[in-house]
Amino acid sequence: MSCGCNDHIDPLIPQIAVVKSIRSDTNDVSTFRVEKPEGGKCFDFKPGQCAMVSVPPIGEAIFSITSSPTETEFMEFSIKRCGKVTEFLHNLEVDTEIGVRGPYGNNFPVNEELIGKDLLFIAGGIGLAPLRSVINYVMDNRKDYGKVDIVYGARTSGDLVHRNEIFANWPAGMNTNVHLTVDREEEGWEGNVGFVPNYVKDLKFDTNKVALVCGPPIMIKYVLLGLEELGFKKDQVYTTLELKMKCGIGKCGRCNIGDKYVCKDGPVFRCDEIQQLPDEY
Amino acid sequence: MKKITEEKLPELYSHISQNHDLFVPIDQDDSVNFSLWKDGANVNFDVLKTNTSPKKYIFPQCETFFNFKSEGKKLTIERIKSEEKPYVVFGVRPCDAKSFRLLDNVFLSEPMDRLYEEKRNRGIIVSMGCNEPEDTCFCNSFSILPNSIQEGVDVFTLKLGNKIFWEAISENGVELTNKLSDLLDDVTEGDLKEIEIAKSQVNEKVKELPFSNIDPNEINRDLNELFQSKIWDEISKSCIGCGSCTFVCPTCHCYDIQDYDGNKSGERYRCWDSCMYSEFTLMAHGNPRTTQKERFRQRFMHKLVYYPNNFDEYACVGCGRCVGKCPVNMNITKVIRKLGGENQ
Amino acid sequence: MEEMISKMKKIAYEDLSTKKVDRVIGFGKGDFIYEANPIFISNLEEVDLLVWDLFCVNNLSKYLINELKNYQKIGIFLKGCDSLGFNQLVKDNKVDPDNVIVYGVPCEGMIDPNKLSKKNLLKDLRYLRRVDEKLIIVTKQGEKELIAKDYEYDKCLKCKHPNPVVYSELLESNTLRNSILTDDFEEVDRIEDMNSEERYEYWSEQFSKCIRCYACRNICPVCSCDKCIFDNLDIGVSGKAKVDSEDQFFHIVRAYHVAGRCVDCGECSRVCPESIAIDKLNRKIIKDITEIYGEYDAGLNPSKSSVLVNYKLEDFDPFETSKGGK
Repeated sequence: MSCGCNDHIDPLIPQIAVVKSIRSDTNDVSTFRVEKPEGGKCFDFKPGQCAMVSVPPIGEAIFSITSSPTETEFMEFSIKRCGKVTEFLHNLEVDTEIGVRGPYGNNFPVNEELIGKDLLFIAGGIGLAPLRSVINYVMDNRKDYGKVDIVYGARTSGDLVHRNEIFANWPAGMNTNVHLTVDREEEGWEGNVGFVPNYVKDLKFDTNKVALVCGPPIMIKYVLLGLEELGFKKDQVYTTLELKMKCGIGKCGRCNIGDKYVCKDGPVFRCDEIQQLPDEY
Repeated sequence: MKKITEEKLPELYSHISQNHDLFVPIDQDDSVNFSLWKDGANVNFDVLKTNTSPKKYIFPQCETFFNFKSEGKKLTIERIKSEEKPYVVFGVRPCDAKSFRLLDNVFLSEPMDRLYEEKRNRGIIVSMGCNEPEDTCFCNSFSILPNSIQEGVDVFTLKLGNKIFWEAISENGVELTNKLSDLLDDVTEGDLKEIEIAKSQVNEKVKELPFSNIDPNEINRDLNELFQSKIWDEISKSCIGCGSCTFVCPTCHCYDIQDYDGNKSGERYRCWDSCMYSEFTLMAHGNPRTTQKERFRQRFMHKLVYYPNNFDEYACVGCGRCVGKCPVNMNITKVIRKLGGENQ
Repeated sequence: MEEMISKMKKIAYEDLSTKKVDRVIGFGKGDFIYEANPIFISNLEEVDLLVWDLFCVNNLSKYLINELKNYQKIGIFLKGCDSLGFNQLVKDNKVDPDNVIVYGVPCEGMIDPNKLSKKNLLKDLRYLRRVDEKLIIVTKQGEKELIAKDYEYDKCLKCKHPNPVVYSELLESNTLRNSILTDDFEEVDRIEDMNSEERYEYWSEQFSKCIRCYACRNICPVCSCDKCIFDNLDIGVSGKAKVDSEDQFFHIVRAYHVAGRCVDCGECSRVCPESIAIDKLNRKIIKDITEIYGEYDAGLNPSKSSVLVNYKLEDFDPFETSKGGK
């Protein structure tokens, strides 16, 4: 939004957006499709970037954009109910207007380091949200990348999100494998049973690829150890970090890890970069 | 260079006030703070350290930046129209003037903070040099001399006895000076000599100050080594986790964004926040800084390591406000010394 | 003073070396003559850092809450006012007295550097000593004799308990001071004498100075909640908006929350960076309690029941007096 003094953009002022649909993925995750009131995508972004979603008077929270930049008409956010803003969002009716500002942060290097490489996506629970943006981007530009493996797990099969894609669209993709797992045995589940880090090790991936990892901190920690065991080097692995954020533009001072701001210098970090950061995340 | 006598200052104030909001250090209830000048205000240029710093004019403790209204499914957002009246802050000490530049690094880097930019552009900074640095001053440790003309000031002044010397520095400063020409006299050769002497005297005085051997450049700035240092346990022990150091600090820039809920309509505002507070980094799923030690470390690592890594300058100007205000006398000078930042 | 320091070092050294305590909390010298800081000692080598002078103003008792999480038994130096805070912490179940050895230190009143500074006496201060009611200072300009009272902290000027009210060991001193029995509530009376508009204006002006730094709360020995309501983001009273009503709300809620427990140590006012007269609000409540329930000093006698948390049928009920209508 113009700030009034000039034609400058004020980065703290959200633009109005409309929630066009709310798809319930699990009992605590829903995917919100958002457009400009007059139709069309609010702003361009790259896979892995985030946006501030604003629901006055409750407040603002930052979410990764889960739709692919190749979608021209809308943006999507997959949001887990866990705080005040998310609770409010989950109770919204379709066609309600909200505020959106962004895009914020860096992105997965889809047009740089990832080009031409075999890709291994590893996600747990709602951690699929940021990776879905990359996966769909890759699917839409399939010839630019090599083999794709997607390892995705959740506590139960009911907690797996984006079911259409994980069960139908992605497995049907060229040279693409989807490996699903759930934490515990359950009736009717024919896929793998076990935690994501163990499953990654069991799958014995070759190391001639780049891994992109997203999920709860504890999962990330063990997946990184597992990948190391398989022989992956730290500069072959990307992940995202999350801290409390307010401004999204590296000024309010609360999402720093050492001299890096997650909102500006992240959320995507290569693991050799993370290794340089102080242990405070 | 021009000059004016102390007796004529009220005339100068009222002249400036005609077209500007004028902020000066005013003594009220025994404490001196920058406030809006009104006729009869008790202006005090003898106290070097106002309670809080003049950063509040470019980065207020709280500012509303838009109003919102939600009716049914419709949401409207209306940005607050910015104030247009220019203002003058008179009496900004070199350390505080430097702090404006340090805040510029943060707020004026892309994406630029428009709220800050507007206020910065509207303001005229009339800086004032110091002749009698206090025991708690250590600007020199950050290469700021008490009589230095800091980048970004519009006018530089110096008070010697009952004479105030006035030197326009920037274009805005020249413009303001021209408007005040009836009140300002030319300086004499003798005046210039007096200024020269005063400047060299104060530069000698700072060398004798208790904190004069503090030198942050002596700190080995290996980020991870300092982060893991054992000293943080020891020196954070007495910290009570209040925000007085943060809120009197001219360089602290952390803020919060909150909504005021007026049912269907309301305001979004941003306000100062402190990394010393336990909820500063609290998220729905936990807090990366669980004890005061981590919060304490963050504040000083930010000033002495993180900020310098990003902007090549320290985020401290040695104004010494925190030295005087900390309830338990723990402050950045002690931290710098513990980290090895001391000339022998 | 020197004699007291050697007593302090001796007892700290003895108790640490015999493992009677594994931590000592006391005062150490700061960067200036007019500065003493809280210090925490576990190693015998550090015992030598202990000092006692006219600037040991901090109430150390609150540190016990955190320190007892990491140490079994703590020795702590407490003045009269601090000892009241200690008793109240015990009463509030925040500190187990069995894990604490209190070294009681009689206090002559602490000197406020700001008062020296206002008279331009701080600069080049080289030496300072108290002889009874006189303060002898030496600066570059030479020696000067001052009236000590003129430079004591406000809180010390109305000290009722210069000597510790509770201790395991009393470090005796030949400078024992009697409590100062001035008109206890003089300042409160002055505010009560205002009419309601004047009073509102007075408090509005005081609280409008608040910068919400929470120094008053965090230094207060009876503000000991694990999580303060003003730190709870979900409640919406964090009050960062810097509007008068929210700052007033904070101070009034805090005053009521410490009502009946406030030991009147005056630390809140001392640490306020904007010099808000916080203690006057607390003293008003103490005055009311005294009038309604009789003489009661929080922290004085831990076995005496607290006036505001115990109900007796014969308690005065101020709400009874005006029964509806005009």
